Amino acid sequence: MRCGRAQKHMTAAVDGELGPRQRGALDRHLAGCDPCRRELAATERTLRALDALPMERAVSDGLEQTTLRRVRLAAAEEEERAHRRWRLWLPIPAFAVATVAVLVLAVGILTRTGEAPAPRAVASAPLKPSAERLARAQPAPPTRRPRAEARQAVEPPAEPPAELAAAPDLFMNLPILKNMERLEHFEAIQTTTLDDETPSGQAEPSSG
Amino acid sequence: MASATVPERERPPRDPLVPADEAGAPATPGAAAADPDVALMLRVQEGDQAAFQELFRKLSPRVLQYTRRFVGSDALAEEVTQDVFVQIFRFRHRYRPQSRLSTWVFTIATNLCLNELRRPERHLRVDLWERRDAEERHEGPQLPDPDAVTPEAGAAGRELARQLEVAVGALPPKQRAALLLSRVDGLAYRDVAESLGCTEGAVKALLFRATQTLKKNLRDFL
Repeated sequence: MRCGRAQKHMTAAVDGELGPRQRGALDRHLAGCDPCRRELAATERTLRALDALPMERAVSDGLEQTTLRRVRLAAAEEEERAHRRWRLWLPIPAFAVATVAVLVLAVGILTRTGEAPAPRAVASAPLKPSAERLARAQPAPPTRRPRAEARQAVEPPAEPPAELAAAPDLFMNLPILKNMERLEHFEAIQTTTLDDETPSGQAEPSSG
Repeated sequence: MASATVPERERPPRDPLVPADEAGAPATPGAAAADPDVALMLRVQEGDQAAFQELFRKLSPRVLQYTRRFVGSDALAEEVTQDVFVQIFRFRHRYRPQSRLSTWVFTIATNLCLNELRRPERHLRVDLWERRDAEERHEGPQLPDPDAVTPEAGAAGRELARQLEVAVGALPPKQRAALLLSRVDGLAYRDVAESLGCTEGAVKALLFRATQTLKKNLRDFL
């Protein structure tokens, strides 16, 4: 080991931070080098003098009070920030719940609307003739259809089914046709049910 | 003739069961809890305000002395010390018991001191020593150092300490930080490196240069 390198290791050696191999090399160098021994002594004196300096300094009450006051303020700010964050995030779950509720309602309404096909209304009319015709006239049991298809089904047919055209008496059984003459008097209709069996004189319209 | 072997500075004994690279840091949570400083800090993390006050009373004298030597001004050192403890409180949840509390605290102190020294409006004026001279004038005649064998030795010791503080204050900030950290609480070079964010080799180099400068400046007093 040369003198320059030995001197670089001296501070670490005095502080006990040198590895055993480097420490041994330094010791061997020092054994034969008087200037390095003097340098080591000076390094040691310097570091000892530094260590002898007081490592603590009295803290005034003022400093303690000021620091603790600032820390209390920091704690209050922290708490306020946490509350603010909570308030900021609170509407989000509420909004999510409301959105989900609206979506569920909307889906429910649309599904119901789609499941009301028009032919069923016609088919459910009371059928007097043979059971065979009735069976043919009845549509297939209700199944879930795609919404577009269901909407198409709601459209009234241009022509009545052949079975019904061949048997007009089926129409005659409909209550609306029985009370057709009452449609001429709108106001009376508002207060009279179609199945009303009262004599026509009692439900005479006041104007017309 | 001086001894050929290198005398070592006294350091806290290391646990032989702990590897060299982990020595000085509590290896397990149990060991961490056994360290009173760490236990105190864990209470602070739980929101115990009394524990924080206790921590302040325990650490602030060392932090104040460290910042005073670092920034070279009593008033500024008090401001930085306040900042150090406010930061300790703000970032209390970032402390991990795996590292020594003093390493963490002095890392914060070092960073704040370096920030203070880097401030553009700050002129690197060390007023500490002028102030001490003024204080000495007001305090009247100096009392003899009770540890000194003779009054002359006591006066020489005080003068050496004063010159030493001036010389430390004149060191470049990084060297000053490394030197002061290595003297505080027996911080190992590994802890100093952790505080400064550099390698142990870099710490050794910083300390070598700092010691060389001090030896040169204090040749007449040592």
